[in-house]
Amino acid sequence: MEIKLGKINITLKKPSLKLVPNMALLTGIAMGVLAAIAQGFFNVQPPVGDGVCAVSHPANLINWLSNTIFGTEFTIHGIFVGVPVLTSVGFILGSTAASLKNKEFKFRKGPVRDSIFAFMLGFIIINFGLLWGSCPIRTSILASYGMIWSMLVLFAIVLGVIASCEYIKWKVRRM
Amino acid sequence: MFLIALAVFLVLAFSISWALATYVPINIGVVTLIVGLVLGYMGQRSRFCTISGLRDFYLVKDSYRLKGLIGIIIGGIIGFNLVKLISGKLDFPGVPEFPMLSQGLAVEPIVLLPLSIIGAFGMAFFSVMAEGCPFRQHVMAGEGYLSGILYLFGLLLGVLFFDIVITPFLQVFTIAF
Repeated sequence: MEIKLGKINITLKKPSLKLVPNMALLTGIAMGVLAAIAQGFFNVQPPVGDGVCAVSHPANLINWLSNTIFGTEFTIHGIFVGVPVLTSVGFILGSTAASLKNKEFKFRKGPVRDSIFAFMLGFIIINFGLLWGSCPIRTSILASYGMIWSMLVLFAIVLGVIASCEYIKWKVRRM
Repeated sequence: MFLIALAVFLVLAFSISWALATYVPINIGVVTLIVGLVLGYMGQRSRFCTISGLRDFYLVKDSYRLKGLIGIIIGGIIGFNLVKLISGKLDFPGVPEFPMLSQGLAVEPIVLLPLSIIGAFGMAFFSVMAEGCPFRQHVMAGEGYLSGILYLFGLLLGVLFFDIVITPFLQVFTIAF
């Protein structure tokens, strides 16, 4: 379908209702729904919207392990003080199960070829992530619940991605 | 086919969850593990990633993964309203506290927003270089990618560094204000 606005032509594709082109959409909807279910049915709160997070949940798990094994007093979300949050473990095990089932599991170098750089990126990203306290998934969930700050932070995430893309393009042009 | 899969998922998710929450004394750790397993499985099959979605759309106008990010917002709205309707227990966020406050940082509110913006910007900036958001890295580690596994080791050390070095520094930083 084409929309003409003066000299501007916008071409809209008819949205597909097949499953495969919409698997990511289904996964995203599942994330939002399961986060709400975890919070509402199973009282995974406070804080709000903490059903799913790939920054605060691993941080809580690591802090819980450190507090339990080494006796440190690192901060953990109140709801996870008694029991460790196992979302991260679930992510890894679920992914492993899916890849084993579909014969895609194989130890190999990832998209980041430099091992030290991959390690450093994990280190840097979690420190930045913990300044805000959420991953993009939980930020989006909070934004869907109407939290204005989360919408601002989501916008900052978009800007961060754009800045990084422009930086990479600039580096490639210099080569 | 997509709508059928979505309907099946919603019916199964709500019916099983409601039954478990009502009749089975289930541990919160087990709940988070199950949620993680389901999302890890779906994430591996769909190649879901929030950061890559934004990157792919910006660079090559590919919207496959971006739909995932939009799906989270749609799912949050659907899930929140349905859970509130069924259980009545979900508090409406209103103006919820900043996530960082829940990490126990005694930071002045006026400092929170700039720090949060910087944190989110930096997380997104470097995540593009890591070829995925933190969730995608977990999934890649599960698939056997060495970069994902090393990323998680870096994440582990980074959490400890944040607790030991950054947290006390932030509290000193806000006292100056």
